[in-house]
Amino acid sequence: MRLPRRAVPLLAQAAAFLLALWAAPHLGALWGAPFPDVQRPVWDQRGWFALLGAHLMLSVGAVVIAAALGLGGGILATRGQGRLRPLLDALFALAQSVPPIAAIALALPLLGFGAAPTMLALVLYACLPVLRGTVAGLDGVAPAVLDAARGTGMGAARVLWQVELPLAAPVILSGLRVAVVLSIATAAVGAMAGAECLGTPIVVGLANNNGAYVLQGGLFTAWLALLADRALALLAR
Amino acid sequence: MIRFDRVTKRYGHRAVVDSVSLEVRKGGLCVLLGESGSGKSTLMRMVNRMVEPDAGRVMLDGTDIANVPPESLRHGIGYVIQSVGLFPHWRVADNIATVPRLLGWDAARVASRVDALLQLVGLPPEDFRARYPHELSGGQAQRIGLARALAADPPVLLMDEPFSALDPGIRRGLQVALRRIHAETAKTILFVTHDVEEALLLADELAVMQDGRLLAHGRPAEVLRRDADPVVKRLFGEATLAFHRLGTLRAANAARPASATQPAEAQLPILPPDSNLKQALMLMLESGTDQVALPGGATLHLSDILAAA
Repeated sequence: MRLPRRAVPLLAQAAAFLLALWAAPHLGALWGAPFPDVQRPVWDQRGWFALLGAHLMLSVGAVVIAAALGLGGGILATRGQGRLRPLLDALFALAQSVPPIAAIALALPLLGFGAAPTMLALVLYACLPVLRGTVAGLDGVAPAVLDAARGTGMGAARVLWQVELPLAAPVILSGLRVAVVLSIATAAVGAMAGAECLGTPIVVGLANNNGAYVLQGGLFTAWLALLADRALALLAR
Repeated sequence: MIRFDRVTKRYGHRAVVDSVSLEVRKGGLCVLLGESGSGKSTLMRMVNRMVEPDAGRVMLDGTDIANVPPESLRHGIGYVIQSVGLFPHWRVADNIATVPRLLGWDAARVASRVDALLQLVGLPPEDFRARYPHELSGGQAQRIGLARALAADPPVLLMDEPFSALDPGIRRGLQVALRRIHAETAKTILFVTHDVEEALLLADELAVMQDGRLLAHGRPAEVLRRDADPVVKRLFGEATLAFHRLGTLRAANAARPASATQPAEAQLPILPPDSNLKQALMLMLESGTDQVALPGGATLHLSDILAAA
């Protein structure tokens, strides 16, 4: 049982995060200290746990979709002597090059306010690292191993599932890890489109010139992204 | 039996294999010998359809393999490559069990087959079946590669420079093991190498390739005869051709039978059974005599070797 032992520090950090979320409404002095002009430094318009739940739904939902696209794209890009690779790579790179805030703005007329345009922006932003990780992982499988796998009479699908993907998994997972961190950190902009999340205090704070709100929203968003990164690092080992 | 019928493979304009016809008899060990780029590997890989010929056909026991689906064809052909290609995320036992599992054998049959194969390739099962490939030496890994190829008891074995990356001592051990396994299992083996010594040690039949063409084919003694093709001579080294030829001739065939009038001298060095003339010559050089004795009382003189060569 090696994994639970390694997981102890992570669980402690997660507990500290949740404790901080719970304590945030009682730490007015802390939030107010850097902003002496702010009258009401404590965020109390919405519960932190509700914001956390909504944030996770948004970012994890987007990562699931981005992972499916990136993995599928990566597999396609490495089939048939990689004929589709330049096209897929360009397409996914283009998707990521659209700033999420612009993607949201452009999607608003089509998808309306809220979670939908945010999800779209996050998926566009997060699928490139999964694609790159998948391609790099599959490229890294030793040619001799593939030659032997085909030579023993495994079909193409079996070679992919039983040999290529398991051997590529660590690299794919590191791509996924980047996608998760990007997605959690970037989901905060969803608040601009009215999607409730840990970014909501940031947007409200910017609108009302309340630096204390921005500080709290920014802190918890970054903290969550780091936690997710640590959790996936643990999984990758 | 494997039969190549005027097979050709081109990459671009270059014919890597150029209209080669060759027959490997059932139960034979045929060595394809040639320098790198001679087309020997390409020719071998046509047998399990890892390479498809552009022209000609390959017959396996009278069936044109172009009509057999590659996967089921490969289940009946063991395949061993120089870089071994063990699956690094699977234990030794799972690696060996690859083809039996593809064929749907039950777990008990697979397990007992794995142990039998580990024994066959000279590795104690209890010590090796649970290891991962990174816990093996190069020689051990190639023994596992051989066991994996033999797992479903295929009648044909393809071996592509399987021992070339190994240290000389380890290589000799595996060559001896392969000869023993070939004698025990009577597989039809097509063995690719660029190593002349290895070719002569293993071959029942020798096929020499150069620039995609088959230069010579036959028993080693025929291929190495005095009037061999100049390219064959060059490949074996003109200066050492005669020496290699000695290695293809049995000492017993050149020896003088024991005679009552001239009994073999007791102190003559004794040649092991089944030795060839090269070994006999080496023994003479080693012991400084011009005669050696064979088991059973026959004697072999230096002049007999010269006459036979």
